[in-house]
Amino acid sequence: MMKRQRIIAALLMSASLSWASAGAAAAKDLLTIDLVNEPTSLDPHVQWNPDSYFVYRNIFDNLLTRDDSGAIVPQIATEWTYLSDNEIEFTIRDGVTFHDGTPLTAEDVAFSVKRITDPGFSSPQLSQFNSITDARVSADNKVVLVTNGAYPAVMAQLVKLSIVPQHVVEAVGNDAFNLAPVGSGPYKFSDWSRGVSVTLAVNEDYWGDKGVFKEAVFRAVPDAATRMANLQAKAADLVVTINSDMAAQLDGRDDVKVLSVLTERVAYFALNAQKPPMNNPDLRLAVAHAMDKEGITEGILGGYDEPVGQFMSPAHFGWVDGLESPGYDPDKARELVAAAGEEAKVPFPILTSPVYDQRVVQAIQQMLTDAGFNASIEMTDMATWLKDMQAGPEGIPVSAFSRWSCACQDADGILFPTLHSSSGWASAGDTALEAALEAGRSTLDEEERLAEYTKAQAILNEQNYLIPLYQAAIIYGAAAGLEWTPTPNESLFLNRMDWAE
Amino acid sequence: MTRYLLRKLGEATLVMFGVLTLIFFIQRLTGDPTFLLLPETATQADIEAMRHALGFDRPLMVQYLSFLADLVRFDLGRSVIQNLPVTDIIGSRLPYTLMLAGGALAVSCLIGIPLGVVMALNHGTTFATVLSSLVVAAQSLPTFWSGIILILIFAVSLGWLPPSSAGGFSHLVLPSIALGLLSMATFARVTRTAILDELSKEYVRTARARGVGMGRLVTRHLARNASIPLITVAALEVSNLLAGAVVVETVFAWPGLGQLTMQSIVSRDFMVVQGVVLLGAFVTVVLNVMADILYSIVDPRITLSARPS
Repeated sequence: MMKRQRIIAALLMSASLSWASAGAAAAKDLLTIDLVNEPTSLDPHVQWNPDSYFVYRNIFDNLLTRDDSGAIVPQIATEWTYLSDNEIEFTIRDGVTFHDGTPLTAEDVAFSVKRITDPGFSSPQLSQFNSITDARVSADNKVVLVTNGAYPAVMAQLVKLSIVPQHVVEAVGNDAFNLAPVGSGPYKFSDWSRGVSVTLAVNEDYWGDKGVFKEAVFRAVPDAATRMANLQAKAADLVVTINSDMAAQLDGRDDVKVLSVLTERVAYFALNAQKPPMNNPDLRLAVAHAMDKEGITEGILGGYDEPVGQFMSPAHFGWVDGLESPGYDPDKARELVAAAGEEAKVPFPILTSPVYDQRVVQAIQQMLTDAGFNASIEMTDMATWLKDMQAGPEGIPVSAFSRWSCACQDADGILFPTLHSSSGWASAGDTALEAALEAGRSTLDEEERLAEYTKAQAILNEQNYLIPLYQAAIIYGAAAGLEWTPTPNESLFLNRMDWAE
Repeated sequence: MTRYLLRKLGEATLVMFGVLTLIFFIQRLTGDPTFLLLPETATQADIEAMRHALGFDRPLMVQYLSFLADLVRFDLGRSVIQNLPVTDIIGSRLPYTLMLAGGALAVSCLIGIPLGVVMALNHGTTFATVLSSLVVAAQSLPTFWSGIILILIFAVSLGWLPPSSAGGFSHLVLPSIALGLLSMATFARVTRTAILDELSKEYVRTARARGVGMGRLVTRHLARNASIPLITVAALEVSNLLAGAVVVETVFAWPGLGQLTMQSIVSRDFMVVQGVVLLGAFVTVVLNVMADILYSIVDPRITLSARPS
C-alpha cells in the first residue's frame, strides 16, 4: 500500500513540476494568449472572424493600417495619390521581405487584391473589397487600384487587406498555404496544433517595430470561466472576451489587470418600420423614449460601454458631436403608447440569439413592457437570426437587439447596409434618407460627406427607424506585466505589446 | 460464432445507414451555414454566390446522394469552416478523446469498483450508507460546475496542476477526474449489487465454511462472477463518456471530439457533425458486439447464437 501511495505522489509531483516549468517560461520569452476558439483559417483571404485575424494579422502585413489613435497610416504602402476619383496609386515599401526571404513586390500586392476580389475564389471578405475592379502594377514599386466609381471608404477597407506572396500561393496551392502560411509580418508561423494552439515566432528581420516576445502562443479556450482561471493561475498572459462581472473578479489583485477599450461596434434596437405596431412613427418614438441606455451600460454592463445618441461611434468617420437621438423619458413613452390605443397593444417579438447578452435583451423587454408595449423575447440560433434579419421588409422581425461592426470605422459601413433598401437588413424605405446615404458614398470630399451623414442622422433621429443604444466595449484580462493599449478595431498586434516585470 | 458476427454486421450496417440518414436531414432542416461565413455587410448576391460555391443550393436529394457516393469511397467530405478534409480533422482530435475517455474510465473503475466492493461487504452499516450518499452526490454534480471547481482548487489556489488545454500527463488529470466522477457512481452501484448477489450464493457460504478469507474470496471468486454486469456497464459507459466529454472538453479546453462537435453544431459545419456522429454510432455498435463476445469468454455457459434468444 505504501509503495502505491509513493507512486501516486511521484506522479503528481512530476506532473506539477512539468506544469510549473511551463509557467515559468511564460514570464519571459513566451506570451500566451487565450482566444475563444482556434482560428478557422490562417490564410488571411479566406476566413474572417476575430479568432482568425487575432492571429494572422501578426503573420501578414496589410496594405495600410491604423495606429493606436485610429488614424489610417502606411504599412506596406508608404504613400498614395488619387489619379482620378476611381484610381489610386500606391507606392510600395522597399526592403520588405517575406518570411522565406524573398522580397515583397508590387506584383504581390496586385496579386493579393486580385485574389481576394476574384468571385471564383469565394472569399467571405469579398463584400468588403468588391468595389475594387482592377489592380495593376504601374511601375517597379507602384500599384494602381481601380474602383467602380468614387468609393470613399476604400482606404478604411484596405487596412484589412493582407499581402500574400504570389510565388508561395501559386507553388503550394490554397489548402497548403492555409496550413503553413508565409507572410511578411512581425511574427512567423511556427506550429499549429489542431484544436489546441497556434504558435508564432518573432521575425528578427522585420522591417518595422519588432516584437519583444520570442514566441507567442494563441490557445483555444472556449469557456470564459476557464480563460479567467488560466489568467489567475498564470497559465495565460492575455485572455479575450470576458464580461464585466468577470472583470470585477480581477479587481484588487496586483498580478492581473483589466484592459478595455470602446470598439467601433454599436449596439442598437432594430425595428421593422413596415410592420405593425412599428410602422407608426409615434410608437417608434415611444420605443426611443423607453430605452434607458444609461441603465443598460451602468447597471448591467458595468460601465465599460458608452451610451450613444447617434447610430455610430466617435471612432467612425461621420460622427457629429452634439447630435442626439430622443432621450430616455418613460412618461413620454407611456403617453405615446396610451395615445395610440389598441394599435400599440399588438404583440410583437424581440428576436435574439444566445450570442447576444441576454441580460440586455431582458432589460429591453422590461422597458417596453413598462411603456405599455406587448413584446416577448423570441430566441433562435445565430444562423437563423442572421437569415431572418436579412430577409428584407417582408421578413425582418418587428424588433431585435443587434450589434453592428463594419470593421471600417466609416459611416457608410454602418448606415448604408442597415438603412438603404438595396440591403436585406433595411426596412426603413425612406427616400430622403437613402439619397443622403448614396450621396455620402459617392464623393471623396470629406466635408460634403460629413454634411450628407449629418442629414441622414437627423432623419434617423426624427423617424427612429432603429434606436442606437451604446458603443460596445471589449474587455480583456491581462497579466500585470503586459503593457498594451487595445484599439477599437479589435486587433491583437503583438509588436505593439511590451512586458514590464 | 461466424453466423452471429454476420448477423451483427448486417444489423450494424442498418443502424449506421439509419443514423447517417437521420443526421443528414435533421441538420439541413435548420438551414445552411452561409450566413455565418459572411460578414454582415455581404449583399444578397454575395450570399447566393457563397451558397452556390458550397453546393447548398442543390436539391436536398442531390446533396444526400452525393454524400452517400462520397461515403462509399470513405470520403467524409470537407469542413466548410476549416477548409480541411473531415477525416483529417477527426483524426487530429480522436487521440485526445481516447486519452480522456481512457483517463476517465481509469478514474471511474479504480475508484468505483473498490467502492462498490466496500459498500457490499459493509452492507447495512452506517458506513455503507454514508459511502452510498457520497457516490450519489458525486454523480449528481454537473460537470460544467465540478470542472470549474476542480480548476479553481487544484490549478488556481494550489497550483498543482495546469488549469486547461492539452499538454503532458498533468493536463489529463483534472478533466479525467471531472468526467470519471460521472461514471464512478455507476460502477460503484453495479459492483455493489453484483457482489451482494454473489454473496448470497451457496458457493460463497461453502467457501466461508472452509475458512477462505474475505480478501481471497473477493479477488478469486467474486470478482470474476460479478464482472458480467460490469462489462455491460463498461460498454455503455464508454458511450456515455464520449457524450459527457462534450461539456468537460469545453470547460477544460481539451481538444477532443466533444469540443469539436459542439463547435461544429454551433457553426453548422454539417460535414464535421456527420463525421463525428457516424464515428460515435460505429463505436457504440462495435463496443456492444465486443461486450457480447467478452461475456462468452468470461462465462462459458453463455454462447453466441445467430438466433435471437
